[in-house]
Amino acid sequence: MRIHVTRTGGFAGIERHAEVDVSGRVDAAEWRSLAERALAAGRGTPPAGVPDGFSYEIRVGDRTVHCADPHLTEDQRELIRRVLKEGA
Amino acid sequence: MTPNAMTPHPAGFEPVFCTIVPPHILDTLARHGDPALAGPARRTLERDAFERTHRRLTTVIGAPSVAPPGEAAPGKPHRTIYDAGHGTELPGRKVRGEGDEPGNDATVNRAYAGLGATFELFLSAYARDSIDGGGLPLIATVHYDEDYGNAFWNGEQMVFGDGDGEIFLDFTIPVDVIGHELTHGVTQYTANLTYFGQPGALNEHFSDVFGSLIKQYTLGQTADDADWLIGAGLLAPRVTGKALRSMKEPGTAYDDDVLGKDPQPATMDGYVRTGRDNGGVHINSGIPNHAFYLVADALGGNAWERAGQIWYDVLTGGELDSQAQFTDFARLTVAAAVSRYGEGEERQAVLKAWERVGVAAAVATTA
Repeated sequence: MRIHVTRTGGFAGIERHAEVDVSGRVDAAEWRSLAERALAAGRGTPPAGVPDGFSYEIRVGDRTVHCADPHLTEDQRELIRRVLKEGA
Repeated sequence: MTPNAMTPHPAGFEPVFCTIVPPHILDTLARHGDPALAGPARRTLERDAFERTHRRLTTVIGAPSVAPPGEAAPGKPHRTIYDAGHGTELPGRKVRGEGDEPGNDATVNRAYAGLGATFELFLSAYARDSIDGGGLPLIATVHYDEDYGNAFWNGEQMVFGDGDGEIFLDFTIPVDVIGHELTHGVTQYTANLTYFGQPGALNEHFSDVFGSLIKQYTLGQTADDADWLIGAGLLAPRVTGKALRSMKEPGTAYDDDVLGKDPQPATMDGYVRTGRDNGGVHINSGIPNHAFYLVADALGGNAWERAGQIWYDVLTGGELDSQAQFTDFARLTVAAAVSRYGEGEERQAVLKAWERVGVAAAVATTA
């Protein structure tokens, strides 16, 4: 299972993309559960953000949701943080 | 000074220690043979020194110490700085109120000084009392989230991250970034430009214009002296670039193997159509940004005076629609130049600038 995060906007307007393939990882179940919770709280279309706020697209398999700062759930924030940190 | 203190920050460095570049590291960097390393450090030190002096002068000349915090007086800023403690709850814990002495946290002190500098430009240059024109208290939260490489305006207050130390440093370092965020508040209370597409790029543009003017006013720079950069001093030393945007030469601020190249166009020929970044608000703002620079350059002297006044008149004049396109805005700047300065060099400078960037500003004469 691949988890993709794309971050756009922000003060710098610089886009970042990262993905993590969690299949076969010892912590795959934990990733899967976190991703499910993050997806459940997301929206199908990009929400109106705030000036200079980051916008995020989270894609897991064939499911894509959107969210934007500062209105992220803790699960979304955690998933985004982990993917952008660990992903390539 | 301890020359051996210039230890590179390893990945995963404790955020609480990498948030602020200590002055001794900046001192060392400022003496470095490589100008890319020395330049930003020197600018940061110069700015810090200036702001320390500036803050002291403000304390001496301005704000009387008898004014109790919590009571806003007309024509005086009413600032409160909060610390999110690397969390995301807003506003966080109050760490400095109006008139309080500076503490040990340089980020808090910079945010406080930057809010003051922004307040001062709007008041002294345009007789505007705070961002709403009615003495609205100014609120900022620093140390937002962990390794957070961004700053934003949430509709009520400014929020600043510490940067990740790898690409971005502390977002309170450049005073123009602080001014940029506060100006989003001014725009919200005036033209309220929709944050998408061309009106969104104009929203970004106003924040860059007044952000840069706040820096120029604070440093006492003329249009010719100014660097016209947005976010100088914000990029970590290892990044190849001098800032995030250049109003003088859009598209040249950075060119780095990690960040990529500054994507800003200077003219309509390079206009970028995209759905990302709210329809390219931080990209296409390069076009009006460059027009403003050209006006300021043509008129010379202090850019916040005539060029800034024309732009301020349009932002606050009531005719700029929340859905305004570049051409709508360009026409209004020509009208504002005429109504304030008559049919003189100001009008010519504005017309010429829009022509150079490829935006139609003149009212069409053909049917």
